[in-house]
Amino acid sequence: MSRFFTTGSDSESESSASGDETAPKAAGGPYSKPLLLSEDEEDTKRVVRSARDKRYEELTNLIRSIRNAMKIRDVSRCLEEFELLGRAWAKAKGVVDREGVPRFYLRILADLEDYLNELWEDKEGKKKMNKNNAKALSSLRQKLRKYNRDYEGQIAAYRQNPEQSDEDEEKSRRDSEGSGSSSGAEDDAGNFLKRRERDEPRSRYKESESEPESESDEDWGDSASESDSESDEDDGKFTSLASKFLKKDEERRGAERRREEKAKKKLERKSRREEEEEEEEGGEWEKVKGGVPLIKEKPKMFAKGTEITVGLVMKKLNEILQARGKKGTDRAAQIELLQHLVAVAHEHQLGVPLELKIKFNIVASLYDYNPNLAAYMKAELWQRCLGCIEELLELLFAHPEIFVGENVLEESENLSNPEQPFRVRGCVLTLVERMDEEFTKIMQNTDPHSQEYVEHLKDEARVCGIIGRLQRYLQAKGSPEELCRVYLLRVLHTYYKFDYAAARRRQVRPRPQEKEDEEKEKQEEEEEEEDSEALMERLCRFVYAKDRTDRIRTCAILCHIYHHALHSRWYRARDLMLMSHLQDNIQHADPPVQILYNRTMVQLGICAFRQGLIKDAHNALLDIQSSGRAKELLGQGLLLRSLQERNAEQEKVEKRRQVPFHMHVNLELLECVYLVAAMLLEIPYMAAHEFDARRRMISKQFHHQLRVGERQPLLGPPESMREHVVAASKAMKTGDWRRCHRFVVNEKMNGKVWDLFPEADQVRAMLVRKIQEESLRTYLFTYSSVYDSISMETLAAMFELDLPTVHGIISKMIINEELMASLDQPTATVMMHRTEPTATQNLALQLAEKLGNLVENNERVLDQRQGAYGGYFRDQKDGGYRKGDGYLRRGGFRQERGNY
Amino acid sequence: MASRKEGSGAAGGGFGSAKGKGKAAAAGDSAVKQVQIDGLVVLKIIKHYQEEGQGNEVVQGVLLGLVVDDRLEITNCFPFPQHTEDDADFDEVQYQMEMMRSLRHVNIDHLHVGWYQSTYYGSFVTRALLDSQFSYQHAIEESVVLIYDPIKTAQGSLSLKAYRLTPKLMEVCKEKDFSPEALKKANIAYENMFEEVPIVIKNSYLINVMLWELEKKSAVADRHELLSLASSNHLGKSLQLLMDRVDEMSQDIVKYNTYLRNVSKQQQQKHQYQQRRQQENIQRQSRGEPPLPEEDINKLFKPPQPPPRMESLLIAGQINTYCQNIKEFNAQNLGKLFMAQALQDYNN
Repeated sequence: MSRFFTTGSDSESESSASGDETAPKAAGGPYSKPLLLSEDEEDTKRVVRSARDKRYEELTNLIRSIRNAMKIRDVSRCLEEFELLGRAWAKAKGVVDREGVPRFYLRILADLEDYLNELWEDKEGKKKMNKNNAKALSSLRQKLRKYNRDYEGQIAAYRQNPEQSDEDEEKSRRDSEGSGSSSGAEDDAGNFLKRRERDEPRSRYKESESEPESESDEDWGDSASESDSESDEDDGKFTSLASKFLKKDEERRGAERRREEKAKKKLERKSRREEEEEEEEGGEWEKVKGGVPLIKEKPKMFAKGTEITVGLVMKKLNEILQARGKKGTDRAAQIELLQHLVAVAHEHQLGVPLELKIKFNIVASLYDYNPNLAAYMKAELWQRCLGCIEELLELLFAHPEIFVGENVLEESENLSNPEQPFRVRGCVLTLVERMDEEFTKIMQNTDPHSQEYVEHLKDEARVCGIIGRLQRYLQAKGSPEELCRVYLLRVLHTYYKFDYAAARRRQVRPRPQEKEDEEKEKQEEEEEEEDSEALMERLCRFVYAKDRTDRIRTCAILCHIYHHALHSRWYRARDLMLMSHLQDNIQHADPPVQILYNRTMVQLGICAFRQGLIKDAHNALLDIQSSGRAKELLGQGLLLRSLQERNAEQEKVEKRRQVPFHMHVNLELLECVYLVAAMLLEIPYMAAHEFDARRRMISKQFHHQLRVGERQPLLGPPESMREHVVAASKAMKTGDWRRCHRFVVNEKMNGKVWDLFPEADQVRAMLVRKIQEESLRTYLFTYSSVYDSISMETLAAMFELDLPTVHGIISKMIINEELMASLDQPTATVMMHRTEPTATQNLALQLAEKLGNLVENNERVLDQRQGAYGGYFRDQKDGGYRKGDGYLRRGGFRQERGNY
Repeated sequence: MASRKEGSGAAGGGFGSAKGKGKAAAAGDSAVKQVQIDGLVVLKIIKHYQEEGQGNEVVQGVLLGLVVDDRLEITNCFPFPQHTEDDADFDEVQYQMEMMRSLRHVNIDHLHVGWYQSTYYGSFVTRALLDSQFSYQHAIEESVVLIYDPIKTAQGSLSLKAYRLTPKLMEVCKEKDFSPEALKKANIAYENMFEEVPIVIKNSYLINVMLWELEKKSAVADRHELLSLASSNHLGKSLQLLMDRVDEMSQDIVKYNTYLRNVSKQQQQKHQYQQRRQQENIQRQSRGEPPLPEEDINKLFKPPQPPPRMESLLIAGQINTYCQNIKEFNAQNLGKLFMAQALQDYNN
């Protein structure tokens, strides 16, 4: 009921409702112990004061870090801090209940809400956000909304006049001072405590006749916010109690402010560090950098007014570098410092060599930023790294007189003496190699189906550009070893790209043209960048000749082969592969090289297939496909099944070996090529050796697919690539080439496989031809026993092949003794000889073979016996066996048994 | 009808004595010298297969009858129901007992004298048959197993054979020791595992009379299947089965071979070990030290587990049966071919 009196001022109706907990307490003992209570309260308050400060400090600290996190748009950090804040707030509840919700708390809530809303609206920004942040954003937004509901009124009030807060506080302080003096206390302002002690009971008593009011005020002090007390003041309730409260508040506030200021300074330092750690460049961040750190750094770096010389900068540089790698060194801050140092050096014109030197170090510390090998660079760092290296190269190009080398000793460095040649320690090549590695890592760690990947991939051009420039630089001054290394880098960035321009040119070239045109074209060609074939040739040849480490040469050869294969230069690729003898010793190479080898073999196989060399294609792909682990062997993904076989460590290592997505070989294409090649080989073979007991499989995997197809209870139209191939195989088995063709080349398969080839139409034409030929062979094998003779013309019509081809195929079959037939030239017919055994005969043959096996095994048992009983029978048996005289052997056996 | 009553009456009378005599005969070489089957039993078996068996599924049943001197008379039989997955808890023994009790109520011979089984292209020499025949013969001396070959029967000649385990094999089975040594000692080979007992099919006179009458009435029976010249299917199947067995045999031999090799290898190791031990002991003696204690050499070298040889014996037996079958079939077929040729020549 007391509440109803005070809540006359509507602005805090909400707040008192929110402070419900205090209501029972107020209702419980308003009349019984006003005096006691007030004393008690005073006491507790005095104790609480320090607790209150502690709590508030805690809160302000958290709020500060939230603000920092907001500035750098680190929402996940925000969320963490916000949760901490909520906890701290709950802890501070007791204080807050008495003091009311502090203004700064409301401010942060309101600001955070605004900020989140802003982020939420910013669709573009949200897209760019990484997953963690995006998740944090939504959850934080929800939490905050729930949380703010409790403080809605206060926040609304705060929003109405956000500016007021400070002014108000100011004003209230002045007011209270005034009121304090007006209340007639003689004590001077410095003696607050005393005065209050005396003052308070008095005021209490004074107010005691208007009991409900005072009680309500008490209630107030507990539950209402500071702003409430101010609004209260605005309402004109200039009771002495209120003044007392305000005074107290004010005084407390003063102390708090002082403390806060101190804390702020401390915090500033701390938070700056934190911010640097975050290492993100927002607009806000710039401001901080411009402000606080500079003030702090400058004095730290160079005292004002000292003349900055090379020596001084070097000293500083060494100082910074010494901290490198030490525990507790802030790596981000280090980069900042170095960056700053460059600026200083540049500003004071200390010479290019020094700048170079520092820049080397910046790039190095950028690489050092991630302590973990597996972690990859953040996008910002990466961009900065690229920029740095580009600048570095620019400097190097601009000042070719500077000698840069990794074998320059620290002592012999010459950074300032213009009389002698400049010497700088450092190796651009290593930096660029490292950059390349980082690039690979970034690509490995980006989801290949995201826009992000595309963004990253755009950097590939930049990376290539850097490598190209480095190459030019080193061509001028580098040693052959270095050149080999940079060439390899270049090769590694070239070999997997299909040179569309060159392919187009080649298509154009064969056309007969007028001379002028040709000349013009030639000129154009020269103007253009040399095509990748020539480039590869040049680079690789250099590596072959000059390289002394085996690894670079191996990689270069493999890349070269891959490139040849990719551009359908089968014979050159094959010859290179055979000449390199890599097949013999590749198992001794390290896994990445092996992966490269596998990629090359696969590409070689696909190339052979495109050329219509089915057997070669099959052989090249057999090793990779038969294991069923193509994905793993090509470094294009980990297998789930082997998860239990390896531990986390191994998995990390394996992950690092993965080939970035843009370099992948299409696995479906690979499998399809393999299966079709296997089909073209296997089906005629199966037809030819239907009754052969010792028939071996050409391709196990193909048979496996066939069996899977047979196991299907219901055979619908084929859907997947494999089903298509199986269906085609079945059609081919009966010699139905049209159906087979339809299954292999159709809309679905075109989309899935064939269109992926650069010269898709050529491949399709080749396929049709192969299918016709092999179907013809299969048909002859399967149905030759039905015919007495068959006209070649009919066959040609059936398989839509021209007569000479049919003639050729059949002749070949006859020569190879696959087909027992002869050609009758005048009538152009094939006469079957019918020497094929019948089914029963075949069975009998098989049985005979098996019995032979059995006998052989039996002989071995006999051998064992003889081993124990001396070699007498052995000679006899061997002799007998050679003569084929079974009885002799049996006699021997009987005799032997008789011995027992 | 009359004959059956007569038979069963006679069986009832001679029951005790027959049994006594059977026991006495068992002391000699074999308890049973001849099997006499009632026509009814043959028809029942054929009917059973026709109704329930198809493909390579076998049907089985119980034979009932009595022993007279050294002659086993089979006078009735009843089938076993076909097992399915659902009634796994089906109690065969219970079923048999009840069946026999019921049969006794209608005055049918209820002495259990063996069992019958159908076969698919003569493949019956299996472990299962061996085991169950052993348990039969172990419980009832005189039991036989009747093997009915429906395929041959369909070709026009009734094929029904009675088999018993030889006493030698019985002993081996009792020992349950199928190691190579045990089999060698028992001097058992595939030829003397089973003995075939001659069969006589006997009908009552009344039935014979009726058959004569029927034969006169019916037109020339359409028994063309006996003259069918097509042979490849049957032959092919038989060959296929034969080949499978040969393969198994091969594997078995390889296994045995490995075993032998292991044994000899171990023998060598043992020998080496002993020699080393001896040398060491001699050295120790010369130095005046006590010799090393003798350790159980068998503990150090655990002899490899010898592979059981019963399987290969059975396979050999089966191969033998197949060969016999094929031989028989081919002989008949050749005869038919010659006949056909002669016929053709004559017609021309």
